[in-house]
Amino acid sequence: MCRPLDIIHKFSFRACSNVSIEIAQGKASMIIKSSSQVSRNRLFKRFPIPANFGVTKESKIGRGKSWPAPAGSTRTRTFEIYRYEPDSGRGPHLDTFEVDLDDCGPMVLDALIWIKNKVDPTLTFRRSCREGVCGSCAMNMDGTNWLACTRFITDMESPARIYPLANMRIIKDLVPDQTHVFAQYAAIEPWLQSRTPVPERERLQSIEERGQLDGYYECILCFCCTSGCPSHWWNGDRFLGPAVLLQAWRWLTDSRDEATEERLDKLEDPFRLYRCHTILNCTRTCPKGLNPGKAIAQIKKMMVERQS
Amino acid sequence: MERDDMRTPLARAIGLGSAKDGVQHWWMQRVSAIALVPLTVWFIAAIIAQTGADYTAFVAWLRSPITDILMVLLLIALFYHAALGLQVVIEDYVHSGTRFAAVIMVRLACFAFAVVGILATLRIAAGP
Amino acid sequence: MASNSPGGRQRPLSPNMQLYRPQLTSVLSIVNRLTGILLSIAAIALVIWLAAGAAGPQTYAIVKAALASWTGQVILFAFTFAFFLHLLGGIRHLVWDTVHGFELRAIYMSGWTVVAASVVMTVVAWVASCCMGR
Repeated sequence: MCRPLDIIHKFSFRACSNVSIEIAQGKASMIIKSSSQVSRNRLFKRFPIPANFGVTKESKIGRGKSWPAPAGSTRTRTFEIYRYEPDSGRGPHLDTFEVDLDDCGPMVLDALIWIKNKVDPTLTFRRSCREGVCGSCAMNMDGTNWLACTRFITDMESPARIYPLANMRIIKDLVPDQTHVFAQYAAIEPWLQSRTPVPERERLQSIEERGQLDGYYECILCFCCTSGCPSHWWNGDRFLGPAVLLQAWRWLTDSRDEATEERLDKLEDPFRLYRCHTILNCTRTCPKGLNPGKAIAQIKKMMVERQS
Repeated sequence: MERDDMRTPLARAIGLGSAKDGVQHWWMQRVSAIALVPLTVWFIAAIIAQTGADYTAFVAWLRSPITDILMVLLLIALFYHAALGLQVVIEDYVHSGTRFAAVIMVRLACFAFAVVGILATLRIAAGP
Repeated sequence: MASNSPGGRQRPLSPNMQLYRPQLTSVLSIVNRLTGILLSIAAIALVIWLAAGAAGPQTYAIVKAALASWTGQVILFAFTFAFFLHLLGGIRHLVWDTVHGFELRAIYMSGWTVVAASVVMTVVAWVASCCMGR
């Protein structure tokens, strides 16, 4: 399906024109132009390890229920959704639903709401704004983290696989426990800290200085990036993760903040900052198009600058 | 772990506090990497040029002072870079107390191999 | 990561590596790490080769024969490919350390360039080596 954006890209990137045409034709995309470019690679969809490889007993995913398609529906799409009911005594399992595409909106969140309304009211997920600004509906769809309300059902594979954010303790169904990542966020003291007395009116900041915050203040703390970071998977207890480090940079680069020295001291740690090996899954998956990888590189650069 | 059972989430996130150290390791990894770029390219080119050489040709090549110096520099930079890199790999994947022993072993092993390599090079260069 | 769940039971952990899609970003990064580990072994092989040279012509001949054998050549080819991947991947990392090339398009272009250039350079190196040998 050739959306208008693909046509614009086709003619705007002269350097990669051949590849752009291939992308517009839906062939395996090699060059990424934006995060919203869904992975179209058909070959290597998962690492070649079994589905329950190395997981502890309570996390093993079992077989779940298959819900029937609604009567009289012509266009349906199969959704495989991760389910976990804490009071059932059962472990997590995958339920299969058939969604009537003519009866529901275009986004994956619409499909989830349709399932909750028409099929299984116990399906549990976070949601609020339905327009990609609150970060509530962040989840793993077809192997990558994104917001359910800005992911088109037509961009999903068949069957569409809906899982909660990767590597999170699950409270119920698609609702992850974000206590630890928010605690890590609190640990970087994400507020303005100053030593000079409070000014009579505003704290002054030039347009260029305010421009330094662009690309960092827009973070909606959906934690798609942190959940997709392999370093956070293996060292999430001590490594702060891309979302928190992006916010740390936001405060480091804010010209009104006067606690730069203390902030850098708190970040300079082989685990808190330096578990980042520039894997860049974070930048690849950010649903707001932000660049946590770049922010972390800027923090590391600042670290070196104060040494020399 | 038991130490964390009743700690608040913030206390768990803070852990033992920042080590206030880490940029040195990162910086030296980059410095050794920059050194290794020309050294390894030279090495690969020299090895290709040496294909099929017998023992006398090999010794003659190593006796040349430039080869000597570059080989020693290569060994130093290579094993330093490897030690730093392997330390990071171990810290990433080993979380028990064993990681201290593993890091120590790796660092000492890299130092030992570097010394062996340098001495071998100097022996060949100085030999009869 | 412990979390306070009711009833003392541990909440299930959502899948990470078992589920997350391999993308150029993560795949090239793990390849850089694997090639680094492989090259550490190659470094040890280098030291063995030098030590054999220092020990005398007989020892050197043994090592040379081992390298010239079929297994030895395959291993050397693997080392060469790993070397070029790690070298070019490392240069890509050094460029990132100057805070350049972080846009998604640049990440992907540089990534595929590293893969393509590594293949080309490995082939060139081995062709050159064969020509020298003759």
